Amino acid sequence: MSVRLLWPGLTALLLATAAAQLAIGTVAIPLAEMPDHIILHAVRLPRLIVVVLSGAMLGLAGALLQTVTRNPLAEPGLMGVSAGAVLAIVAMIIAASRAEGLGVVRETGWHLGLAGVAGGMAAGALTYALSRHQGTSRPILLVLMGVLVAGSASALTSVLLLTADESQLRLVLHWTIGSTNGRGWVHVEMLLPYAAAGLAMGLLSAGVANALQLGAGVAAGLGLRVEHARLLLIFAAAVLTAGAVSVVGGIGFVGLIGPHLARMLVGNDARRLFPAAAVVAALLLTLADLGARTFPLGWIEAWTRSPVPAPTGLPVGVITPLLGVPFFLWLVFARRERA
Amino acid sequence: MMLAPNPDAGLRAEAVSVGYADRAVLERVALHLPTGGITALVGPNGSGKSTLLKALARLKAPSAGAVLLDGQAIARLPSAEVARRMAVLPQAPVAPSGMTVAELVEQGRYPHAGPLRMLRRQDHEAIREALAATGMTGFAARALDELSGGERQRAWIALALAQSTPWLLLDEPTTFLDIGHQLEVLDLVARLNRERGITVLMVLHDLAQAARFADRMVVLHAGRLHSEGPPEAVVTPAMLAEVFRIEARIIPDAATGRPHLLPIRHLPDGAPAC
Repeated sequence: MSVRLLWPGLTALLLATAAAQLAIGTVAIPLAEMPDHIILHAVRLPRLIVVVLSGAMLGLAGALLQTVTRNPLAEPGLMGVSAGAVLAIVAMIIAASRAEGLGVVRETGWHLGLAGVAGGMAAGALTYALSRHQGTSRPILLVLMGVLVAGSASALTSVLLLTADESQLRLVLHWTIGSTNGRGWVHVEMLLPYAAAGLAMGLLSAGVANALQLGAGVAAGLGLRVEHARLLLIFAAAVLTAGAVSVVGGIGFVGLIGPHLARMLVGNDARRLFPAAAVVAALLLTLADLGARTFPLGWIEAWTRSPVPAPTGLPVGVITPLLGVPFFLWLVFARRERA
Repeated sequence: MMLAPNPDAGLRAEAVSVGYADRAVLERVALHLPTGGITALVGPNGSGKSTLLKALARLKAPSAGAVLLDGQAIARLPSAEVARRMAVLPQAPVAPSGMTVAELVEQGRYPHAGPLRMLRRQDHEAIREALAATGMTGFAARALDELSGGERQRAWIALALAQSTPWLLLDEPTTFLDIGHQLEVLDLVARLNRERGITVLMVLHDLAQAARFADRMVVLHAGRLHSEGPPEAVVTPAMLAEVFRIEARIIPDAATGRPHLLPIRHLPDGAPAC
């Protein structure tokens, strides 16, 4: 794709996918009634906004962390932020449903989102603190400590799950897989502040990121205060990840593939890479969500010989690895062919 | 009217000590580098030469002592201000894969850029000049990983040049290069010094190259300043025996008077140092 057509092309693709997302669903809506149909306004539109925003957030978070660690395998969950957010949400759901019954919790709302963001930010802060030595963080330690923190948080989540009952499990499972089912305007409101703050911070740090990706020594020689810069990028990534995970759960792969695809399209310059990573990941998650909503559940029912609760559809977190794994295999083998 | 030379001009280390964790790497190194010329920092492995370069470039804070640039303590200057006066290239830098020469060299304007990081006319001018001076104009659109070692090192030097600084500090700019590419890089450094008046301080591994390209040599031994001065004064049998533990013959160049080095053998520990 030529550079001139890139942004119009990406925008057109995103708009087309968004339109399909609004037009397609379990309830068929005649085209003429579409502009003011209740299902469109109350169900499909807020879900679409949640999907686009959280996709963009995960994509930018991945690009930020790949820049900080100078590691192309970095993804939003790297710092343990996703696992921390999921742990906090699972703890909240189980505690609240014991106290007040599951019906109250199912409504979700601010307290759940706040708990997720607090848990995610706490895990991220812990990872950062553990990777600091004599005033500077080492990217390799960041990756290692992130694995430890994420692993510990996931283990704690598993312990909690063992104490949960059947109905709690079903709800919690959607958070650990990552799901956009039933996301409405309340979720858009939960997501907006983190999206606005995180996207602004991340996109504005592109100049700093460009210097940082040359390595700590070169960046410091260019007059960059390296540790401040790392902290800025890490903080932005944590806000984006914690915010997104708190609303849609731990959706994998879009935050890894989005930045990779974007890099293939626009190169390493963060001023183009960061917005492109956000747009590409938003597009990927919208496509995956469309796939999740239209996936013929009949196949699964025939195969497992048990009914799947129909209107909820598949959680999108099941679809993203299905898209992601073949893409990664292609990436690895296509590169090898050329080399 | 004659202007008295400014005694503050240049880069000065005042009793600089640097320690990593519990180990002292540099102990009370005092050094004054006047502006102009090429200085080579030499010493055996672990003598602290890279650490001294880092301390002088403000990449490593001394545990005691101070570094002054034209009389000002660099520790108290803003980072961007230091980066507008001194460009520094660490040893064997690595760029993200796929990055082009133009993208790399553009980053040299970082300390000059405004808050929005948009390039202005003088930035484009500086980038163009840096590419031309290093002979990299034709490579601007090429990815760094496709270049030869010498070309890649020239691209990194172009990055430092785009900073438009009067000082250029290089940490072993010839590491991992074959002899042809080593000379290509050192010739470039000499030309930048001669034609653009850039003051150069570089850590060099190879004593013969240091003696050939530098106007002054600074010898470090076990974290302390051993000797400094023009190559013909510094490169002596005594210094080679004490610092590098080698016996060598030194032959003055017929044309330049610079010392040539013929290593003969390694001196075992405990052997008398001439």
